[in-house]
Formats: sequence, structure tokens, C-alpha cells
Amino acid sequence: MTAPSHRLRFLAGLVLAGGLAAWLAHGFASDARRRVAADGEVRRAVVALRAVTSLVESSGGEGDGARRAVVAWQAGAPGVVQLRVARGMQLEASSAAGDAGGQAAPRRLAREEKPLYDRAQRIATAVRTNREEQGGRKDEVEVERLPSGGLSLAAPLDLDGAPVGIVELETAPLPPAPSTPWWPFLLAVLVPAAAFGLVMLLAGQRRAVLAVAATFLLAASLFVLSRGTVARIGEERRQAAASVAERVREQASLVRSASVSLGLPASAADPAGWDVDPFRRPRGEVASDGSVVETRREAAVEEEVRHLGRSLLAAALLALALLLLLGLGAFHRLGRTIKVNRQAYVYIAPALLGMMVLVFYPFTYGITLSFTDSNIYNTQKPLADLWVGLRNYGDILGDFAFAKKVEGGFVFNYLNFYWTLLFNVFWTVTNVTIGVTSGLLLALVLNTRALALRPVYRVLLILPWAMPNYITALIWKGMFHQQFGIINQLFQMVGLQAVNWFDHPFTSFLAALTTNAWLSFPFMMVVSLGALQSIPADLYEAARVDGASRWQAFRAITLPSLRPALVPAVILSVVWTFNMFNIIYLVTAGDPGGSTEILITQAYKFAFERYRYGYAAAYSVVIFGILLVYGVFQNRYSKATEA
Amino acid sequence: MARSRRDQELPHAPLHVFLGLATLVTVYPVLWVVSIAFSGRQTLAIADVPSDPTFLQRLRAVVPWPQQWSTANFTSVMTDQPFGRWVLNSVVVAIFTTLLGIFLSCTAAYAFSRFKFPGRRAGMMSFLISQMFPGVLTLIPLYIIMVQVLGLGNSRLGMIIVYAATSIPFSVWMLKGYFDTIPKELEEAAIIEGASAGTIFWRIVLPLAKPAVAITALFSFMTSWNEFILAATFMDKEDMYTAPVGLRFFVGGFSQQWGYFAAGSIIVSIPVVVLFLYLQKYLVSGLTAGSVKG
Repeated sequence: MTAPSHRLRFLAGLVLAGGLAAWLAHGFASDARRRVAADGEVRRAVVALRAVTSLVESSGGEGDGARRAVVAWQAGAPGVVQLRVARGMQLEASSAAGDAGGQAAPRRLAREEKPLYDRAQRIATAVRTNREEQGGRKDEVEVERLPSGGLSLAAPLDLDGAPVGIVELETAPLPPAPSTPWWPFLLAVLVPAAAFGLVMLLAGQRRAVLAVAATFLLAASLFVLSRGTVARIGEERRQAAASVAERVREQASLVRSASVSLGLPASAADPAGWDVDPFRRPRGEVASDGSVVETRREAAVEEEVRHLGRSLLAAALLALALLLLLGLGAFHRLGRTIKVNRQAYVYIAPALLGMMVLVFYPFTYGITLSFTDSNIYNTQKPLADLWVGLRNYGDILGDFAFAKKVEGGFVFNYLNFYWTLLFNVFWTVTNVTIGVTSGLLLALVLNTRALALRPVYRVLLILPWAMPNYITALIWKGMFHQQFGIINQLFQMVGLQAVNWFDHPFTSFLAALTTNAWLSFPFMMVVSLGALQSIPADLYEAARVDGASRWQAFRAITLPSLRPALVPAVILSVVWTFNMFNIIYLVTAGDPGGSTEILITQAYKFAFERYRYGYAAAYSVVIFGILLVYGVFQNRYSKATEA
Repeated sequence: MARSRRDQELPHAPLHVFLGLATLVTVYPVLWVVSIAFSGRQTLAIADVPSDPTFLQRLRAVVPWPQQWSTANFTSVMTDQPFGRWVLNSVVVAIFTTLLGIFLSCTAAYAFSRFKFPGRRAGMMSFLISQMFPGVLTLIPLYIIMVQVLGLGNSRLGMIIVYAATSIPFSVWMLKGYFDTIPKELEEAAIIEGASAGTIFWRIVLPLAKPAVAITALFSFMTSWNEFILAATFMDKEDMYTAPVGLRFFVGGFSQQWGYFAAGSIIVSIPVVVLFLYLQKYLVSGLTAGSVKG
């Protein structure tokens, strides 16, 4: 089979990649247009709502004054379906069609109107919370989209600076969202494709020329397309700002004339404060006289456009990569490889898919998480917004506050990474030493020829390894109980004091050490025993004939023969012990005060008890790094010993 | 000759004393659990100690023999407590994890062993490296994927999928090692006879690899049967606990139901202890072989 010509490949690549980029760009552009249009509508409605609120506030906020203000305002405000003012359980004023005659305000809220009451409560709480925290976290101005296509907005009604109720406004259905025409995007594909057709005629099958030409044409076309799109969105954002400013001017004159006709004092409210964000902070794009503040508007345009520009750039880069991959034949080769090795890939695919989704993806995600400030309060935000770079790593590795000075001495800071690391290393070394020593000793004894009951001892001594280790941990935790635990009973039996094991770092460590030693010596014993049994008896015979002592035979024959089996076993048990989560977590639980925490349990606690996901992820990456370094080091060491 | 060897041998009596002591220390916690389980009480003391005990009373309290024998803890842990359900959860999860994990691992291991294809080495290496990922690091994203995205928190299916995926690397390495030892000539003969790749795998290779498949399956069964952290994180509704989470529930925090714990521990441990004692020689060779390769 001959490969398709370079020309055709590049042309196909250009059309496909250009099509993909154009399709994505159209998506981004229409999203941006819809967002800009919707934001404009919401802001215009909010301006109206805030204007009528200020009118109601200056009318005293209740009684006939408020009702007259509502009626006078609505007469001059087209596009408003209904307006309601609620205070506590009371409906103060309403222009809703159903609230006439017997249902006319003022009256108590009916049961079906609970949503209105709830809304008022929610908003009042939001105002108080934001005031206490001196910031914006909860929406003070609520905007909902109605099934009819209109908006339902609500804002707090303030009297003397305190929220006493809400004003709720419903608008007529909004104009449909603007649709984005397809033709510029289509042109962005067709024009470079046509141009490339010309290049094809001239360049023939010269691959480099074709590649450069195709890349250049696509890049240029996408550049022009995105410039146009961005400019267009910027223009629409400016128009939206102008229409908001116009709404402010309209409302200002409406409020003025209504105030005059109702005989109210001129409203003190500043129209510039009507165009607000959900936390009632003025956006500052409109001045008090209803003109647009250009610097602020341009900053907002800039913001909007930067966002879109970035998305478009990403789409363009994706398209260029696709073009080159297609054009240079990467996909062709990939496809051929898959076809040739179809069987192998089919066999591997299910396992690989599972590993991808549940092992490798979580791992990558975890690494990404380690660069963020993700915690239980912000899990719904995208990770890009929580990016903190290397801060977590700096906090972990750059914290050298091992001890705090207090009155009369020092207190160790057990949350410090280096303390935990030191403890972790100490824990590993002591455990492995004890495990190897006791395992080897028992294996040597068990290896005695013709020893009676050997199989019985062997099975009983393996038992701790066979037990699930979480059960072992909980058993020992019970045996170390201060009052009823067996260990303390034994101590008292021989006249010692009962020890409160988990009240002091050292005794707590001893308890965990005992548990882990009990659990881990059988592994070493079994490994050593296997190696001992494989040493030919002739060797000892020969040594004896040569007049070697028992100790000399042990040093010259036994130890070297144990080495090939023991080295991997020690390597393995170092990793196991270093990460022995269950024992620490279930026996000491880090008590007292986190002093007996190892790295892995500390990371778990940061994630699932302190809910600092980002920090915990960084912590785990550090652990991974330590293990990786250990792995490389160990690999080199064992290769060196093999050679 | 025989006499001179005997001269070299150590006397056996001190060895027996040493081994006896070691065995006592080893077996004591097990005996302790058995006495608590059969005591019929919830306390973790074997015998009541009066406020001013004599030496003998103290001694009585450490001898692992219940004051009176009763199976009450076993009957009530299975009837009054939801332990039966927890064990059922564990059984279901462990069995299906094993089936799924073995299916995925067998096919992948066969491909790694028999086919030469681009990405083979990278694939094997990536499986090996994945064994080094710290569990906590993947636990957070796994929690987000399984619980928040897929809504598989508190579900046996979720546990099965997670356990099966995490068991793949170890199983693949074990099985690939065994597949490598099966002579290729058998398959070549089958190909000449006109057998398809599927037939060769299912009808020739798998039956030959039965012992290795069985051992790997038992290991993956034991691993999921004994797993604690993932289960404790994913299963937070009481009736979806697995046995390990449930056992900790009896004695964790402020709960002190040591009788239930002991009885439950015995029920949960017996199958794995028996399996383990039967399998341990394979385990040692498998583990050390893997680490030497790594």
C-alpha cells in the first residue's frame, strides 16, 4: 500500500485542523456573546430594581407611601411585569396581577408565598454575613431566570442602614440571545485551503515547503479570525455598558419625577450606585450623571477579551499541532501500528483503561492538586482559580520551626514536616532492625536439624503474618489499654506501675514498635529459613574438616548465602514499614499530639481531617519523591552488589 | 562420622525453651482475642481484678482463658449487630474484585508476554511505577472521581472497580512471569491447526496457567478482603461498611465493644489465615522475585 501523497495529507490536515479550530472558536465566540448579552440584561434589570428600591426607601419603606411609590414607578418603567415589597411576614406593596381586590397589599404572606419569605430571610442573612466578614461571599442581590424567559431579581430594602425586607422585581421575557453567524468561521477554513491548493501546484511533493506553507496559512487565517472575533466581542461589551448607562439615566429621571409627583424629598441615592455586582458593590462603570466611565469600562472589556483570547489561542495551537501530526504522517503511522498489533492492544485495552482512569489519572490530578490551595470550602471552583504555584511545597519544606518557645522551656512542633520525617526514618530503621534480627535468629534456630516439633513452631510463628494487619493493630491497641490492657496487668503483676502508653511520645512509639515487630518478624523468618535450607550441607562439612569454628562457618558460609535473599526482603520491608499506615493510624493515631505520626498518616490527616486537599497532595508528592529517590538508590546498590 | 556430627550439634533443650517463649509471645495476642470472643462480655479484660488484687488474681487476669465460656458474642454479633451484612459486603466486593481483576490482568499479562508491540516496555514499567504512588495522593482524586463525579460512594460496585484497578499491576507482573514459562511451541502448533487467537488464549494458555491464575486470584481476594483505608474513606454509611471498617467501628472512637470486635475478628480472620498458610510459599517467592526485577 502506498502512502497518500504529502500534498493530500497536508490538505486534509489543513481542512480538518482548520475545521476543528473554527468549530471551537465559534463555540467560544457564541458563548462569549451570550454571556455579554445576558450580563447586560441582568445589569439593566438590577439598575431598575435598585432605582425603585431607593424610591421605596425614601418613601419610608412601608404603608401607602411605599405602595404609591411602586405604582408611580412602574407606570414609567416598561418591561417590568410585577414588583413586590416584602417585610417579614408582611407583603407591603405589590403590583402583581393576582394581588388586587381582596388580595391587595398590605396583607400577611400566604402559605404559597413562602418562597418570597425565604428569599427575604436568605438575603438578610447574606447582608449580615458579608458585613461581619467585611467582604462578599453571599449574594445580596439575587438573580434567577424564570421559565417564561424573564428575570426575577431581589435586593435588600434598607432602612437606616439595616435590612428590613426585600424588593422583588420580575421582568418581561428577555430578547433572545444573539446568534453568531457561521460564515466568518467557514471562510477561515476555506480561504487557507484554497490558498494551499495554489501552493500545492507550485511546490509539488516537497514536504518541508508544504509543511511551512500549511502551517503559515492556517496560523494566519486563525489569527485574522480571532482578531475579528475578539474585536467584535469587545464592541458588544462596550455597547452593553452604554445601554446600562442609558438605563441609569432613564431611571434617574423617572425616580426624580416620581419623587416630585409623590411629594417625597429628593432621593439621596446616587445613581452611580445602582449598577452593582451581587454583593451590592458598585461596578463603577457608570458615573453619577449617567455617563460611562471609560477607564473602568475599558478595564472590563480587557478582562472579557483576555478570557476569550486565551481560549482562542488554545484552540489555534491545538489545530496547528493536529495539522502537523496529520501532515507529517504521525496519525497514519499510529493507525498502521494499531492495525498491525491490533490483537495485543485489544488484550491490553481493558486493563489499561482501568489503570488510566483509576490509577494514572488520579495520580496526575493529585500532582496538579498539589499546586493549588484546594480545600473543603472551595472544591467546586476550577483548579486554575486556586493555583498557588509552589507555595504548598514551600510551606512544607521551608518550615523549620521545630519547637516553640513557651514559658519554662520548649514545645516540639509535631506538625513540622522534618519532625515527622525524622520520626518516620527512626521508625523504619528500628522496625527493620528488630525484624531482621529476630527473624534471622528464629530461622537459625528453626533450621537446626532433627529438631522436634519444627513444623508446629513454624506454623505458629507465621501466624502474625497471616492475620489481617488492621486486626493486629486493633488487638494491640486493646492490649495497651491503660486500665484493662493486658500489658499493664503484667506490669502490675511484677510490681511495676501501670503506664499510660499513649500519653508520651516515647511510650506511644514503643507500643507501635511492639505491634509492628510482632507483625513483621515472620516475613524475615520465612525468607531467611528458605535461604538457609538452600545452603548445601557439604559446605559446612568442608569447613569443619578445615578446622573452622562454628562462628567462622557462620560468617564465611551462612551470612553470604543469606545475602541474596535478605537484600530484596530488607528493601521490600523498608518500603512497607516506611508506609505502614494501618499500624500508626490504628494503634497510636499519632498520639500524643501528632508526635508519633509518620508521613503517610500525616498526609491522610491533612486531607481527611483538616480537609486541606492541596496541602495534603503536596505532602504526598514529597513522600513519593522520597520513595523514588530510595528506589533509584536501592536499584543502583543492588545492581552494584550483583556485579 | 555420625558421632562427630552429634558432637557439633547444640543441645536441643535450650532451643525448645527459646522457641517455646517466642511462640508464646507470638500466639498470646491470638489467644487473648479468642478468650475475649468466648467470654460473652464486651470488656477487654479477661478477668475482673478486685481493687486490691493478690498476685494470683493478677495472674488470673493475664491468663488467656475466659472466666466462663459463652458463644454469646458470636451469636449477637451476627444477629443484633449488622456484622453479617458487613461480612456480606466484604464477600461480594472481594469475589467480584477478584473476578474482574483477574480477567483484566490475564488478558493484559498475556499480551505483555506473547506479543511484541510498541509501548510494551513502557506499559510494563508504568505498571511497576504505579505501585510506588503513595495511596493518599491518589485517594483524594479517587474520592472526587468515584464519589462526587460517578456517585459511587457507599456502593459495592465502586469498591469493586477501585480494588480491581489497583490490583492489576501486581497481578499482571505475577501472571506475565508465569506465561513466559509456558512454551510457545504449543501455541505455534495450534496456529498451524488453524486455531484463532481467542481460542489459543482461552483453550490452551489459560488452562495451562491455572495454578498461577489461582494463586493470583487468591492474593487479590485476600488484598481486598483485608483492605481498610479505601473502604473507610468510601463507605461512610453504616450499612455499607465492609468487615474491616465495621470491626474498627466496634472499638474505634468512644465505642468499646471488645467482645463483638473479638468475635468478628475471628470470623473474618479464619478464612484468610487458612488461605495464607496454604499460600505462603508462593507469596514469598512472588514478592522477592518482583522486587529483584524492580
